Amino acid sequence: MSTTANTDTTGTKGLAPAATRAFSAREFAVRYGFIIVTILFYAFFYWTEPAFRLETTFFSMMKFTSVVAITGLGITTAMTVGGLDLSVGSTAGMSVTISAMTMVIYAQSAPLAVGAVLVGGLLIGAMNAFLIVVLKIPDLLATLAMMFSIQGLKLIPVDGQSVSSGLILRDGTVAPGKFTEGFLKLDRGFVGPVPYPAILMAILTIVMWFFLTHTKWGRVMYAIGSNPEAARLAGVKVGLYKAGAYMISGVMASISGLILSSRIGQGDISAGASLLLDGIAVALIGTSVLGANRPNALGTALGAVLMGILITGTTIRGYPFYLQDVVKGAVLLLALVFSFTLSRKKHRHQPAVPM
Amino acid sequence: MRNWKFGSVLMATAMAAAACGGSDASSGGGDTDSESGSDTTVAAAAGNDMPAPFDEGPVKIAIVQNSGAGDYFQQWTAGANLQADLIGFEVQIFDAQADNAKQATDMETAIGLGVAGIIVDHGQTDTMCPLINDAIEKGIKVVIYDIAIAECAPDAVETSQSDADLATLVLTQMAADVGKDVSVGYVNVLGIAPLDRRHVIWDEMVTANNWSQDFFVGEFTNSVATDNARLVDAALRANTGVSAIFAPYDEFTKGTVSAIEQSNLQDSIRAYGIDISNADIEIMTKDGSPWVATATTDPNAIGAGVVRTMALELAGEQDSRTVQFPGVLVTQDFLRENSITNMDDLRVSLPALNLTDTSSADWIPSLEFK
Repeated sequence: MSTTANTDTTGTKGLAPAATRAFSAREFAVRYGFIIVTILFYAFFYWTEPAFRLETTFFSMMKFTSVVAITGLGITTAMTVGGLDLSVGSTAGMSVTISAMTMVIYAQSAPLAVGAVLVGGLLIGAMNAFLIVVLKIPDLLATLAMMFSIQGLKLIPVDGQSVSSGLILRDGTVAPGKFTEGFLKLDRGFVGPVPYPAILMAILTIVMWFFLTHTKWGRVMYAIGSNPEAARLAGVKVGLYKAGAYMISGVMASISGLILSSRIGQGDISAGASLLLDGIAVALIGTSVLGANRPNALGTALGAVLMGILITGTTIRGYPFYLQDVVKGAVLLLALVFSFTLSRKKHRHQPAVPM
Repeated sequence: MRNWKFGSVLMATAMAAAACGGSDASSGGGDTDSESGSDTTVAAAAGNDMPAPFDEGPVKIAIVQNSGAGDYFQQWTAGANLQADLIGFEVQIFDAQADNAKQATDMETAIGLGVAGIIVDHGQTDTMCPLINDAIEKGIKVVIYDIAIAECAPDAVETSQSDADLATLVLTQMAADVGKDVSVGYVNVLGIAPLDRRHVIWDEMVTANNWSQDFFVGEFTNSVATDNARLVDAALRANTGVSAIFAPYDEFTKGTVSAIEQSNLQDSIRAYGIDISNADIEIMTKDGSPWVATATTDPNAIGAGVVRTMALELAGEQDSRTVQFPGVLVTQDFLRENSITNMDDLRVSLPALNLTDTSSADWIPSLEFK
């Protein structure tokens, strides 16, 4: 953690003495602080751990990062409209079960499994939207309720069991299908040395960045997040955009679920359990990147990369898992300090932090 | 609730050995940085010179774990660490904490580390098999514990606690106690790997002894003992004349014992279980307890045994692709005669729990857990 302390002092040193210098140092910390923290962590592990330098380590780190990043992109979208989606982890978990059921129990093809999963994610997003927009339940509460519901519902068709090839069905027969090679390639395939999930992460990040900042839809979403009432008065169909945001979030979560399913290679019912908190963390970390001070796709992706660096680095150093949580928490706090304490931007946009 | 099936396997195995470690938190005996709760002694010093690759400084290995609740894994890892230190391994431990996707990532990272060997402790066959084969292709030796990989990764060494052995030990005792041609009851849940393996032996023994299985109940819930007590209680009311009940997992056995006692049948029905813990010892040794025998292993010793297997594999001395760690029979009489009240006492009285003869060689210093 010495590395974070360094940048932190760079930031605070300048604050006290001269007002003008303080301003620029503070501005610098807010804009570049988080990127510097990321680079410092990377450099630290790079120099201290030979294993961290390996190409294989880098790409397995990117595979880990991809799932968190894609989930984070979904949460980011919900955050742009001033909400938060707590159902993403469960949605990813449900996707793992759906994909396994489609291929193992119903012996269908990989494309059909992918389709079923994406439709499932879209439906959950639509359900969230219905609860929030039509029934007017606050975002957090609606998605919290959905989180629990999905967690339980996904277990009903599989009797609470993980689905793997050779599963004995209720009628005593053996499940006819298995995870197809093509589906397993989703996580295990490569283009050159680059694993598929890393490529998918890069594509989705760019798509979401473009969508949120360069399209009318994205800009309206940010406007809703800043001030829904003003947006409504300006003639924006707030409900429609909110619904769109939650559906994007649901689909992103289901894409993460597809990668997890392919990685695990069976319908693991515990999959996705840790995804919600990691996803929220990286989306929040993302708000501090480049002083954006609002949820944004590039920041979220960078946040996920930082998370990947920390997890991989501390794992290689042999830190116990609970210390990894401490490190994650400290980094998140630091990001929030950049966003809320140091930044002089008025918090017109309130990502769902002051819940 | 996480992965039900896997979780319950973990729970079952954890319970199995749960109390083997007991809760003695005194710091480990000796020269290791492990978090062992047990005092240990080196039973046999390395007699001969170490073979390659151990003759040239420490050998790096990784342990890729997927641990679950309970102190089973803590003990397993402590035993593995102590043994690894004695052999001269430099161990890097990854623990996915029941997150199967994380274990896949950990395995990839471990393969990238350039270690000589990887021990995979628990995990899902479908997740780990391709990665295990990747590792072997890269020349890394792989020893796994308690994952079924014999079919999909035949070049790895598969180690496991012998559930068949545990069941055979107890059921042989049961056959000696109650004889042939009697009515018996059975408490088990199928679909959980270790319980399935115990079930196979039960079926064989029922046929061999011409026992009449009057009832077969059981369910796996969050409060296993209480819920199964209810089931067994109902079964006992419907089936009189049962002379013994086999419940091959100690939480089932606990439930069975309390059902027998509720029905006031402890004089006519004997209970047989598998696994043991401090709490189990108390129940078994209580006056008039129907629980007369159980079988168990020590997770500390198994962790150490798996590491010894890795040492043999690296030295080119591990020919068989499977290693099974045998169980030990513990009877009520034995516990009473030796005034055993907890797991520490049991370890002292039953040195066989140390498994020092399994996967050993004269150049490997072995451990005793006390």
